[in-house]
Amino acid sequence: MKIARCTPAFQFGRTSDFGPWLRHPLASLPAMAQLFEDFLPAVTTSGLATDLFEDADYYHACFEIPGVKKDAVKIELKERVLTVTAERSLKVGDSESTRSLSRALALPETVQEDGITAKLEDGILTVSLPKQESRKPKIITIN
Amino acid sequence: MNTTCSANNCAPSVGVTESLRKPRYTVANVAEAFEIEVELPGVTKSGLSIDLEEDILSIRGERSGAMPEVWKPLHRELSGLNYQLRLRVTTPVDAEKIVAKLEEGILKVTLPVKATAQPRRIEVA
Repeated sequence: MKIARCTPAFQFGRTSDFGPWLRHPLASLPAMAQLFEDFLPAVTTSGLATDLFEDADYYHACFEIPGVKKDAVKIELKERVLTVTAERSLKVGDSESTRSLSRALALPETVQEDGITAKLEDGILTVSLPKQESRKPKIITIN
Repeated sequence: MNTTCSANNCAPSVGVTESLRKPRYTVANVAEAFEIEVELPGVTKSGLSIDLEEDILSIRGERSGAMPEVWKPLHRELSGLNYQLRLRVTTPVDAEKIVAKLEEGILKVTLPVKATAQPRRIEVA
């Protein structure tokens, strides 16, 4: 049986149970996180669901953002935290409103920060994160 | 005026084995028409079928961009299921003039209300 200690400040929704990718950027600073949670709930809530994939050269993060135009998506990388923010304007009759969804992913060390690309197609945003050269699997040929 | 069909009132008679996801949608009544907006991320024009049979409008969206085989999933939160939405149209609509547009994962269907079903103003002589 596994007993895990529960600290309220560590509860960042479902993301806290997963690997380093989904650990909240402030997970190692519970006091700070608590502060954010109290005053800026938007910072810590994950609004955008994501799928993560891996192939030999890249990690891929996919987000579903139907109805969001290319220029309404902001992808920001700061201190190894990738933040994706999508703004969608909803028009119902004459009234218009905007809804902003965002998600932060803590990037593993193995991601090469320059060379990150993103593509938006049919309402699906795919962010491709290249792996560092040294972390790629090496094929050793037999002489 | 559109009501969602529940499984027992308009399900096909054959057993459906495929799991489908009901997409998010909105219905708005604008200038003599119904505008339905359905969120279908991952669906292209070729994977979409819209049928109006009797009074049931069914929208089916198949995801086209299947992830390449070499992509190994690390973590999944999104559902990869195809979409199906069935709506009962209770007002007579002009089937010939239905327009559908798919843009950035959002499908817009405009169903013009038949002239006979529109409110008529009676002038007092």
